[in-house]
Amino acid sequence: MKRKHKYQHKDVARRWEGNPVITLNDLPFRCSDICNAAAVKFNGEFLLLLTIEHLVGRKSLHLAKSLDGYHFSVEAEPLIAPSERPAFKSYEEQGVLDPKIVFLEGTFYISYTAASASGFRLALARTEDFTSVERLGFISEPDSKGGLLFPEKINGRYAKLEMPADGSSIWISYSDDLAYWGGFDVVMSPREGFWDFHKIGPAAPPFRMDDGKWLLLYYGVKRTSAGGLSRLGAAFLDGDDPSKVVSRTNIPILAPRKNYERVGDSPNTIFTCGAILEKEQLTVYYGASKGCVCIGSCSVNDIIDNCVASEKEF
Amino acid sequence: MGKFVYGRDLLHRFEGNPIVALEDIPFRCNTVFNGTPVKKDGVYYLLIRVEGQKGYSYFALAKSGDGFHFEVEDEPVMIPAETGEFAKYEKRGIEDPRITEIDGEYFVMYTAYSQYGARIALAKTEDFYNYERLALVSEPGNKDGILFPERINGEYVRLDRPIGANVGRMWVSFSKNLYDWGKSELLMSPRPRLWDSYRIGASVPPIKTNKGWLEIYHGVKMTSSGPIYRIGVVMLDLKDPTKIAHRAEEPILSPREDYERIGDVGNVVFACGAVVEDNDTIKVYYGGADTHLCVATMGYAELVDFASGTTLPD
Repeated sequence: MKRKHKYQHKDVARRWEGNPVITLNDLPFRCSDICNAAAVKFNGEFLLLLTIEHLVGRKSLHLAKSLDGYHFSVEAEPLIAPSERPAFKSYEEQGVLDPKIVFLEGTFYISYTAASASGFRLALARTEDFTSVERLGFISEPDSKGGLLFPEKINGRYAKLEMPADGSSIWISYSDDLAYWGGFDVVMSPREGFWDFHKIGPAAPPFRMDDGKWLLLYYGVKRTSAGGLSRLGAAFLDGDDPSKVVSRTNIPILAPRKNYERVGDSPNTIFTCGAILEKEQLTVYYGASKGCVCIGSCSVNDIIDNCVASEKEF
Repeated sequence: MGKFVYGRDLLHRFEGNPIVALEDIPFRCNTVFNGTPVKKDGVYYLLIRVEGQKGYSYFALAKSGDGFHFEVEDEPVMIPAETGEFAKYEKRGIEDPRITEIDGEYFVMYTAYSQYGARIALAKTEDFYNYERLALVSEPGNKDGILFPERINGEYVRLDRPIGANVGRMWVSFSKNLYDWGKSELLMSPRPRLWDSYRIGASVPPIKTNKGWLEIYHGVKMTSSGPIYRIGVVMLDLKDPTKIAHRAEEPILSPREDYERIGDVGNVVFACGAVVEDNDTIKVYYGGADTHLCVATMGYAELVDFASGTTLPD
């Protein structure tokens, strides 16, 4: 049947026609869910660090590798699994999830969320080669999720974004040594009546634009009687003071529409932990409904065009 | 007449309780409750939480020569910040101050409350009338922050109560400079079956004893008609305050009198400070029913023995 309107899609980002990129059938093991992934290029390869929920219910992080960024093979052994070491065990007993990777001072830093009976808190690890990982420690109290580092120091200090549960906003904080954190401040908050009405959190580590600003992908949740609707949005943060929002998309750049985004253990969920920016083109690896990993892409200009002033942030 | 003269709690209520009530406040307000004492040069200074008629809290100062009979100053001494970086985080009030003396300096940790959640803030005072705000030191969703009176292994230490997995537990954090905090660890959790089965939090700045750090904390039991707040004790390891030396199974004070049972929040006794006297007694200052300020006393050595498990209550 011929459709009346010529638009092939209603979202700022375009879906890859080969979606989904990784499904349960692509895994060399049985599991419950594929949740979301961090994305990074390393030695000419595309690497995804996937959050896998295993059948027993615990989550761990598995690497997937690709030469072209579209066809991935997933490793059977996790790169990061809940630790058995005493200092970590009690805080990771329910799993490790939502990794974000930044290349900072010559090393890849992986921030992830640790889950336990005491709640969610942020942990930090680093790797040189994606073969061995050194855990550095926990960098938040509970309940905080979605934490990620900026890929460079801001005014001489390390900086991180996260979503503490209370208030459901995105917060920034700073550190001299990646261990002790202070200067916590709200960056942006949910907007009443908008698609990101109830909760927002940082999604992919920010990209530095040519004009100095930071491009941040974030997720926004609107609650409905059938549960949450989780979508992707974007914002530009001030280059010198990323606690200030310069502009923010007032529409999502990607919203659940396809069956693989609407149907799954977590229906109507689009959630990313990583994207790759090459030649002004953004490739977003996103988890859909906790069942698969997909690709959406758009240009930075597409995002800028949709950054319409909405409400004043303070 | 009852058969026993001893009373039912380890702490003995002062017969003049409440020591500060609405009638003792020289300005119009809604309630007066939690207070933190300092005894300096023979004068008792009591920084007290007052809830104004508008509904948010601020601090007033009361003074006494004997620790039992107080005069309240004509004006509040600390109100929510109206300008600067603290203003947006104190919009809904400042609550539950705790004063700790470190190396001759007086630090106040208090809860800053706003639409972004409850956070822990730090201020400094020399005369108890003027307060210099230093920093907001926690993420949102955290309260009952209390500084130890000395550095341990070269670091400042605080107890606090982040909400993780919807449960209030006591955590420990460390800092080199009072501004940046890290190495947070879970210290203790509510105990199913016991009087502190729902929530717990630090109450009184830890007191150094020869058996460990004496911490007087609050525990909550949830009932079908609401929570019951009681006061309990735990002894922490002197060298490593992330370790519990002993935790008493019974509370030392429970709501029983009308001024503890009847008020804006009934069935609450909530301590914010204590004074150890030269005559081997301790005065514990506590709020009753979020409407009265009270004091109770007992033998200091007796309390230390009880908290360290050396003696059992009769």
